[in-house]
Amino acid sequence: MSSESGVQSSELNNPPQSPLNLRGDKRGVTIAVAGNPNSGKSTLINAIAGTRLHVGNWPGVTVEKKSAMFEHEGRQIRIVDLPGTYSLSPYTQEEIIARDYLVHEKPDAIINVVDATNLERNLYLTVQLLELGIPVVMALNIHDEAVSKGYKIDIKTMEDILGIEVIPTVATKKTGLNDLLKAVTSNTSVHHPKKLNYGSDIESAASAVERQIKNSYPQLLEKNPLRWLVFKLMERDSYVMDEIKIGDNISFIEEATKHLIKAHGDDVESIMADERYALASGLTHEVLKKPEFKKMEMTEKIDKFVLNRFLGIPIFLAAMWIMFKLTFDVSTPFADWMDAMITGPFKRWAEAILGLIQAPEWTTSLATDGVIAGVGFVLVFVPVIFAMMFFITFLEGSGYMARAAFVMDRAMHSMGLHGKSFIPMLLGFGCNVPAVYATRTLENPRDKALTALLIPLMSCGARLPVYVVFIGAFFAANAGTVLWSLYVMGIALAVLMGIIFKKTLFKGESPMFIMELPPYRMPSFKSLMIHTWEKGKHFLIKAGTYIFAVSILVWFLLNLPWGVEHKKDSYLGQVGQVFAPALEPLGFGNWEAASSLVSGLIAKEIVVGTMGEIYVQSTDDTDQTEVPTLTDDLKEMGTSFATAAKDAAENVISTFGVASMSSEESTEETEERTPLRGILKGQFTPLSAYAFIVFVLLYMPCVVVAIAMKQEFGTWKWFGIAFAYQMVLAWVVAFVIYQGGKLLGLG
Amino acid sequence: MNLAMLKPGEYGRITKMGAIGPIKRRLMDMGVLVGEKVKVEKIAPLGDPMEVTIKSYSLSLRKKEAEGILVEVIK
Repeated sequence: MSSESGVQSSELNNPPQSPLNLRGDKRGVTIAVAGNPNSGKSTLINAIAGTRLHVGNWPGVTVEKKSAMFEHEGRQIRIVDLPGTYSLSPYTQEEIIARDYLVHEKPDAIINVVDATNLERNLYLTVQLLELGIPVVMALNIHDEAVSKGYKIDIKTMEDILGIEVIPTVATKKTGLNDLLKAVTSNTSVHHPKKLNYGSDIESAASAVERQIKNSYPQLLEKNPLRWLVFKLMERDSYVMDEIKIGDNISFIEEATKHLIKAHGDDVESIMADERYALASGLTHEVLKKPEFKKMEMTEKIDKFVLNRFLGIPIFLAAMWIMFKLTFDVSTPFADWMDAMITGPFKRWAEAILGLIQAPEWTTSLATDGVIAGVGFVLVFVPVIFAMMFFITFLEGSGYMARAAFVMDRAMHSMGLHGKSFIPMLLGFGCNVPAVYATRTLENPRDKALTALLIPLMSCGARLPVYVVFIGAFFAANAGTVLWSLYVMGIALAVLMGIIFKKTLFKGESPMFIMELPPYRMPSFKSLMIHTWEKGKHFLIKAGTYIFAVSILVWFLLNLPWGVEHKKDSYLGQVGQVFAPALEPLGFGNWEAASSLVSGLIAKEIVVGTMGEIYVQSTDDTDQTEVPTLTDDLKEMGTSFATAAKDAAENVISTFGVASMSSEESTEETEERTPLRGILKGQFTPLSAYAFIVFVLLYMPCVVVAIAMKQEFGTWKWFGIAFAYQMVLAWVVAFVIYQGGKLLGLG
Repeated sequence: MNLAMLKPGEYGRITKMGAIGPIKRRLMDMGVLVGEKVKVEKIAPLGDPMEVTIKSYSLSLRKKEAEGILVEVIK
């Protein structure tokens, strides 16, 4: 382990001029932030960039990209957060993104965030970053925790050995951040990493490869840092090999590494990994002094309960129950408030204004039933997205997410999923939309896609009103059992589809479960807020646009051709008539049912609304009584918001809130829908009614889920697959139920 | 003797990495290297995965992966 003593400066690692050298340069400086997951990297970047942070996706993938532009001491700084990685090997999406960025975009400097409490494993990445020859400044983060643990880190020695500046930071308390920015933007000569010595075997092989590259492939050096390229070629890194198109001319690499492989008896990739760790651990031994006696740490104490053989699962389920309740209990009153505001005062105002300017009737209808309803439709999702993002970020930031995955992995693994899939699936019972967004906690693209595909089978809250109406009309005596059967059917089919997808669509891809259990930490409030806000904003802008467009489209479908007297003649009715024959074998082959199902594309609860409109003609003219004044409206908005806030707070205090709330809701529903129920009894038999609600449970995800999937995956592909398999599944299951039931004499 | 055979509380030293390809590299990137000392901390309530301490941090992995990591028991 003499490696780090053999440090030599190398002109190879020093590009002739660095933009950082130009003092007072008005040009922008691009800084990449790299570090291990759980190193506090995201807190650090939040603390530096704050609200200037822009959250997007890396091109073509679903990995979050955070960047910010700001001015610091008269200089434009662009800061780019790389995905958290343990290494720069080419095996995970995150690693590939990080190294592609570093090698191809050539940032002016790297901030390497290192967890001071876990020095050795973090330094393994540092060693690899130094191979790139880009100026590096180390943020020795979580420094306070290291100090309180009694760790003594010799920063000066670390700087000397690595040849870079090391700044102790505490991102959660914003300590050291100014020094860090100063270091990274100031004169660069101090940041140029020294070339670490990888031992004579590796170094001599490297020199041979290096000579060959310089002689035969000098053009490769325009794009790739020399030492990096040499090492990647020695490792036979498949991505680099493909990229530089060196083809079959690898005999010089084989020749150069022959001795190395023989001496170490392993493949070069492993030898290199070994040596890098040797450097990291050698450095750690040199600079870190730990106290002899190790007291039992907080994390260990908590895990004694949280991961306990008997308590582990009950604790997990309790935690999930609380999160689920909080997510939906906190957001529901606000969503209801928004809904009430938009369908109430806003709609009235718009009508009044349009009436004032004597706009034609159809514009009023378009404005209120199309545009305002569309806006409302987007907005009611905002509270739940915000709430969900808040809790998910908290679970991840605190370290509990990894425990949840640990506890649940065995169960989820059987259906081809990852332990972490449980949480998105669970959220799906509330609303599939935040559930799809929550799949971003899964690192592996395969796990992410499979989870998203199965989420729509979790019976969401929007389907409940449909069940309630039909169960009320046909199965009042066994309401609980019938409702229960639907939820269980969704879960059972998810397990089945999971197994089928595992063996077909995702065949051959073997996901691995090699996951760090990070120490528990309190996530900073600011980080939580930024994440929550960014996600909510993102949803509002991106998803909002689509949803809005679709709801206007549906308005047209319902109301065109203009002046339709009967719903049957509207475009929606016509579409319904087209599809009706396909539903015949399922027991509800009429245009009314078909049109209602088509309108359920917007959201499944709309199925009931459309049925109401179609079956129960001329039910309007109910609230022509007294139109409230503007001041009444404003007052009402204020007080009802206060009520919503109060309700949300009460729900938090008593997590039993929702149980009482939903029962209230269903009684309300009962009264409202009574005429519809009567009519339904004439149109459906109990058997066809059950087939119908099963169909509603299973058929296509709603448009918001579609858009969430598009947003998360950057392609319509997964929605397309979900749409197709669900349609088939819904049809087949409803068919089996209806025809099977008839055979058994139930029809 | 492989890592999956160790019981909670037992220590081992890694003697050979049986895994190959991406899994091997991933394990090595996480510090699972020949010669490294590893302690089995817990087995998940449902019997899989397991938690080990290596390079003074906690790592969880499925038994299937652990089976490819050969160890010798140390006291």
